[in-house]
Amino acid sequence: MPALKPQERRRTFERLSSIREIVFGVQDGVLTTAGVLAGLSGAVSVRSQVILAALASTVAGALSMGAGAYLGTHAESAVLRSELDRVRRESEEDPYLVQESLIEALGKEGLSREAGYRVVKLLSSSKDVLFNTAEEKLYGLTGGTFGNPMVDGLLMGIAFLVGAVVPLLPYMLIASVRLGLIAGIATTAVTLFAVGYVFEGRFSGDRRPALAGLRFLAIALGAATIGYVIGLLIAPMGAVSAG
Amino acid sequence: MLKPGDPAPPFDLPSALDDQLSRLSLASIRYEMVVLFFYPRDFSFICPTEVIGFHKARAAFQAENTVIVGISVDDAETHRRWARELGGLGFPLLADEGGKVARAFGVFDDQENVALRATFILDAKRIILYAVASPVNVGRSVGETLRVVQALRSGKLCPADWQPGTDIEPTDAKY
Repeated sequence: MPALKPQERRRTFERLSSIREIVFGVQDGVLTTAGVLAGLSGAVSVRSQVILAALASTVAGALSMGAGAYLGTHAESAVLRSELDRVRRESEEDPYLVQESLIEALGKEGLSREAGYRVVKLLSSSKDVLFNTAEEKLYGLTGGTFGNPMVDGLLMGIAFLVGAVVPLLPYMLIASVRLGLIAGIATTAVTLFAVGYVFEGRFSGDRRPALAGLRFLAIALGAATIGYVIGLLIAPMGAVSAG
Repeated sequence: MLKPGDPAPPFDLPSALDDQLSRLSLASIRYEMVVLFFYPRDFSFICPTEVIGFHKARAAFQAENTVIVGISVDDAETHRRWARELGGLGFPLLADEGGKVARAFGVFDDQENVALRATFILDAKRIILYAVASPVNVGRSVGETLRVVQALRSGKLCPADWQPGTDIEPTDAKY
C-alpha cells in the first residue's frame, strides 16, 4: 500500500481523534441501557414498562451525551483559541523570546545551539511560519487540537444510540423477559468486547487485542451485574410497583 | 556583582578576533579604558543587536581610547563562527568556558549557566568605574555606554543626560 502523504496523514490523525467520542458514546450507550434493563427487570415485572423506561433512558442519554460533547468541545475550543490569541499577541510584541524558546526546545531534542539558531532564523523569514511553529512546538497546539463541536456532539449522540440498541433490540424482540435480558447482556458483552478489540486493540497495533476486548467485557458485565443486584435490592422496598 | 571602585579581576582567555583564534589578557590591553560586556550566549536572537551595535560604534569608542571586549561562556571556535555569522566583528570575543571570569565579576547565572548581561567600564588602572546589569531579555544601549565612557573621560562633573559638547558644569550641586 502506498505511503500516505503528510497532509493525508494529518487528516487521518484528526479523524482518529473522533474515536474518543465513538468509543465513549457506544460504551456508555451499551452500559447504560444494559444497566437499565438489568435493573428494571429485577424490579419491574411488566416487560412493556421496562422497554418504555429503557427507550426513554436511551433518548435522554443520547441527547444529554451529544449536548455534553458539543458544549464541552465548544468551551474547550473557545478557551484554547482565546489563550492562543493572547500568546500570539505577546509573541508579536517580543519575537525574540519566541525565537530563543524555540532554540531551547530544539536543543532539548538534540539539535546544537548553532543548528537551532539557523533553523529558527530560517523560520523567522516568515512571521506566520515562526508563530505557527512556536504554537506547535512550544505549546503543543495544532489545527487538530480544536475539535468541531457539532461533529463531536453528533458522533457522541449517534454512538450512544447505536450502543443503546445493542441490548435493547433482543430484549424487545424476545418475548421472555428472562431470555430477552440474557440475550441483551450477551450482545452487550460481544459488542463491548468487539469495541475494545477493534478500537483499542487492532487500531493501536496491540499484539494482544483480545485483552483490550476482555477489559471492555469485564466493565460491561460488572455494570450489568451491579445494576441487577441493586434492582433486586430495591424491589422489596416498593420503590417501583408493578402496574 | 562588583561595583565601581573595585579592581577588575584579571583574566587571560582564548579569544576570537578577525576570524583568528588567540588569547587575550586584561594586562595586555593597551587602551586607556576597557568596556567589558558579558552576554549570555552566541547564536542568540537577543544578543546580536547589542554585539552588532558595539561593532558599529567601535570607531567612536576607539576615538575615546577605549577598547570593547565581549565575553561569554561559549568556546573560542563558536565565537569565531558567531562573528562570521554576524558579518565580522571589530573587537575580540573572549571564551569564558565554565564562567570563571563571570563568577569573579559576580555576574554568573548559576541556574542558566551563562553570564548575565552586564557591562563594566574599567579605567587605566583597571579599576571598575561603571557597572550595570540588564535582564536577559533586554538588550543594552550601546549609545548609553559610549556616553558614559565620554563622560568619564571628560573628567568633569556631568549632570543627568549629559552629552559631549554640552560641557556645562552645574553651578547647582543639588542635581
